[in-house]
Amino acid sequence: MPTSLPRNTFLVLLAALLLAAPVCQAAGTPINQESPKPAVAAPAASATAATPAQVDEDYAETAPAPVADPFYRWNKFWFGFNHLFYSGLMRPFAKGYAFIVPPMVRKGLSNAYQNFIFPIRFVNALLQLNFTKASKEFGRFMINTTLGVGGLMDVAKADPNLQPGNEDFGQTLGFWGLGDGFYIVWPFLGPSSARDSVGLAGDAVANPLFWIFGPWAIHGEDNPWYLSYVVKAGDVFNNLPETLETYDSLTKPAVDPYSAMKDAYIQYRRNAVSQ
Amino acid sequence: MHRFASRLVLALAIVAALAAPALAGAPTEALSASIDTIIALLADPAYKNPDTRPAMRAKLITAIDAVFDMKELSRRALGAQWNRFSPEQQQRFVTAFGQLLQNTYLDKIESYTDEKVQYLKEQDLGTGKAEVDTRVVGKGKEIPISYRLSDHSGWKVYDVVIEGVSLVQNYRTQFGQILVNETPDALIAKIAAKKS
Repeated sequence: MPTSLPRNTFLVLLAALLLAAPVCQAAGTPINQESPKPAVAAPAASATAATPAQVDEDYAETAPAPVADPFYRWNKFWFGFNHLFYSGLMRPFAKGYAFIVPPMVRKGLSNAYQNFIFPIRFVNALLQLNFTKASKEFGRFMINTTLGVGGLMDVAKADPNLQPGNEDFGQTLGFWGLGDGFYIVWPFLGPSSARDSVGLAGDAVANPLFWIFGPWAIHGEDNPWYLSYVVKAGDVFNNLPETLETYDSLTKPAVDPYSAMKDAYIQYRRNAVSQ
Repeated sequence: MHRFASRLVLALAIVAALAAPALAGAPTEALSASIDTIIALLADPAYKNPDTRPAMRAKLITAIDAVFDMKELSRRALGAQWNRFSPEQQQRFVTAFGQLLQNTYLDKIESYTDEKVQYLKEQDLGTGKAEVDTRVVGKGKEIPISYRLSDHSGWKVYDVVIEGVSLVQNYRTQFGQILVNETPDALIAKIAAKKS
């Protein structure tokens, strides 16, 4: 079964991460930014003992502990690589694609994929014991699959109680108290953390594609395992014009783009976990 | 006459009672007043006219300057490092950083079309600070933006949080990284160079 090699190496890599994550727990931080505990602000404030107490207190509300970055060189390299690949090489293709394909069609494709991977959000809402969110996701799936023509249209969004959610396995791990671990940049996948990298594996398993084209699929030996990657890459490409816009709005005003991206990713994820 | 006066008082009391719940706190008031001013300027046809545009732009910058507490924003963006800067360096830093923010965000503000700003809630952060949560609703897009304000003779913004990402903290991470190896003067030079 030579075709299963890439999948196995990927799993081995993730297993290694899984083992590494608890070790790096020390670097994890409380999720709640507004936490009154002085310990939260201590790492940022302790740098200068001379700082007046009043100033320290001021930072408390916005200064959680910074994330550890033990693989700085690796991260910096892949950050540069991803920048060249997406912002350089792929940008003209994304622009051309956005020019040719109407926004409605692109939005429809994106909606359909999001609807298709509803089990990820549903399962993770359940794993976080958030039954309100789980029932919302279920309601959205039922409405959008039927009235929204297989998820192409997000008709459920019209209801303020059925706004799109974004729960994933990384957030579930965070909900149960696992910290970020450390910051890591993956080739092509971009910024992540130890916890969220493990989360990615969980998401991949909760993704219906895994069961359709995965190792236990009924097609047997000759099942086209690579198709799930083709679909996922297709979704990434479909969303690339918007992704690049977000990327630009983050890195263009930055004095140090690498740090800006690292911090924005961690802040975004901590906020997502807390919700 | 006495009856009329008592009715008037009663009527005023009812009006006040009805109006009170609709009134948000002072931070929200201050913020929404400033945002309304800015939107009014942008929606003005004079902004589209190339002849009057520079004058309008100057007005817009004045209006934006009035909302933000650049010194407070800069102090927080440097965090504990602020004290490493001499008063003169602090002054130059505030100017350079303000210019950088203005250059990068003015285009974004000017690309305003017909987005609506909804004021969701106001939180008291204690010691004269508050957070106002808003949502900018545009064409098929909704962006949650929170403003953190402090009261130094009037409520002014010292941080903007977009999708959970604090602008001040994002810059603090960057500046902190740069200041590990570089001097305050080198950082100011870097920021100033960025604006061109």
